[in-house]
Amino acid sequence: MKTLSFNKYTKKNFLLFLIIHLSLYITGCNPLLSRFLEKAFEETGEIEKVENKIKKPIFEDVELSILWIGHSSFLIQIGDKVFLTDPIFTNSIGMILKRKVEAGLCPSAIDRLDYVLISHPHFDHLSYGSLKNIPKAAKILLPKGGLRYMPNLGFSDYKEILPWTSLNIGGVKITAVPVKHFNGRYGFDNGWLKYDTYTGYVIEYQNKKIFFAGDTGYDAEKFKELGEKFRIDIALIPIAPIEPRDFMKRVHTDPQEALQIFYDTQATIMIPTHHRTFIQGLDSTLTYAEDKLRKLSAENGVEDRVLILKIGEQRIINLEKYKDIITGR
Amino acid sequence: MKNRMNRFCITIVIFWSCIVAIDPALSQDEKKSIDINTTWLKLQTVPNITWTSFPHQTNFAFEWEIAPVIYSFGMAKRNQQLHFFKVTQTERFSGSIEFNTTLQLFMSKAGRSHWGFSGQLLAHLPLIEYGENLGMNLGVARYSNSIITSNYIIAGFSTLFGFFHYNIKYSPSASIWMHSIEFRFF
Repeated sequence: MKTLSFNKYTKKNFLLFLIIHLSLYITGCNPLLSRFLEKAFEETGEIEKVENKIKKPIFEDVELSILWIGHSSFLIQIGDKVFLTDPIFTNSIGMILKRKVEAGLCPSAIDRLDYVLISHPHFDHLSYGSLKNIPKAAKILLPKGGLRYMPNLGFSDYKEILPWTSLNIGGVKITAVPVKHFNGRYGFDNGWLKYDTYTGYVIEYQNKKIFFAGDTGYDAEKFKELGEKFRIDIALIPIAPIEPRDFMKRVHTDPQEALQIFYDTQATIMIPTHHRTFIQGLDSTLTYAEDKLRKLSAENGVEDRVLILKIGEQRIINLEKYKDIITGR
Repeated sequence: MKNRMNRFCITIVIFWSCIVAIDPALSQDEKKSIDINTTWLKLQTVPNITWTSFPHQTNFAFEWEIAPVIYSFGMAKRNQQLHFFKVTQTERFSGSIEFNTTLQLFMSKAGRSHWGFSGQLLAHLPLIEYGENLGMNLGVARYSNSIITSNYIIAGFSTLFGFFHYNIKYSPSASIWMHSIEFRFF
């Protein structure tokens, strides 16, 4: 039996290289990543339960209903069509980040689904484990280039859409709209992809228009243009992570910027997304962004048009009701 | 002298890795003007970290890898199956067969030289979460360094989205076992 010999120098260097190289690699990629990871590892404990989960979220026929599953996952029904955005049902994402509040809906409760909208392939928006358990008859929509991150999950069809192009099927029109975020899934693939693998979507069906922003930073030009092109009824806009602001600002809106998108797009109703589910960035508490939004919307006198849903809450929305309180239309 | 040379090599590699790694940290709007081929080429110069046990010694090495051809079979329909050089981790670890070549720079001499080369035909088979959480590697390779040049059978696993690999390599003709731990950056 031959024995392995480690000379002292090899052993010492191995550890040194490993530590320095990995930490520099990680921090070189993103100087704050190590702090984010530290925070993610700190956050342990029980996952908050959602009481009285809705068991039958899909109606025979409804004008418009929205159920918040958590983070950026919404089950939207317009008439006879059912849409699901960035589904995350798993208890962790990317093998590291643990969910703080459980998913507000069991995937088995979704017995019928027409479209799944994936805004981008980051772990908190494209979860293979979550997609495994939903009806496979649905069509998956992805930004152009996003298919390179989609393993064979057995769905009926997959469609990639470029910004400002639309998909028209059976009276449903879904348009990909530009947002401001970043590419790839694993970090190093950010730099060499041919297309921007992130997008927002506008769903149009039965005279309803829903804007799902996915994940975005603030860009006045993009959102004003969107407001000019569509008369948006409901805008689903991310409000977190907020801190550290200088870093997050490039790719994530805070509540103030989210409200600005709401004004720029001239939407009737805003529903905040991308919050209260995971501890994100260096935000101090789970409700950090939500609290800020509540305060800001009250200060701006739009609290009746900013619907802050609870995880697992479903609303049937009558847009007629809002017509009286909207001015400037 | 040997130590000084090693430190010099390491410093250069780390310094270069840091410069290159700054690119992906930029948000997309800041990157519009950067040529994607240049970015990809620069990223390929960042080495993997490997630790290989030979019969009489264990060496730490930087390893540069390039995969000219990959056949990806685990992806959703409508995806392209053949890839040349540029490939995402999903395309690789959700099920693929790749031909790759590597160049290794050992920090302690492997025999008379610091250098090693290999050509590998590897299959990546997904086990958990389409290979992101756990995947199996199986394949054949020809390794060449100044200790020995031989053909090997490879078996092992990958985890953490393919960043971490553990492989066992066996050469039937020379009856040599090698183990390697690899941190692979793509």
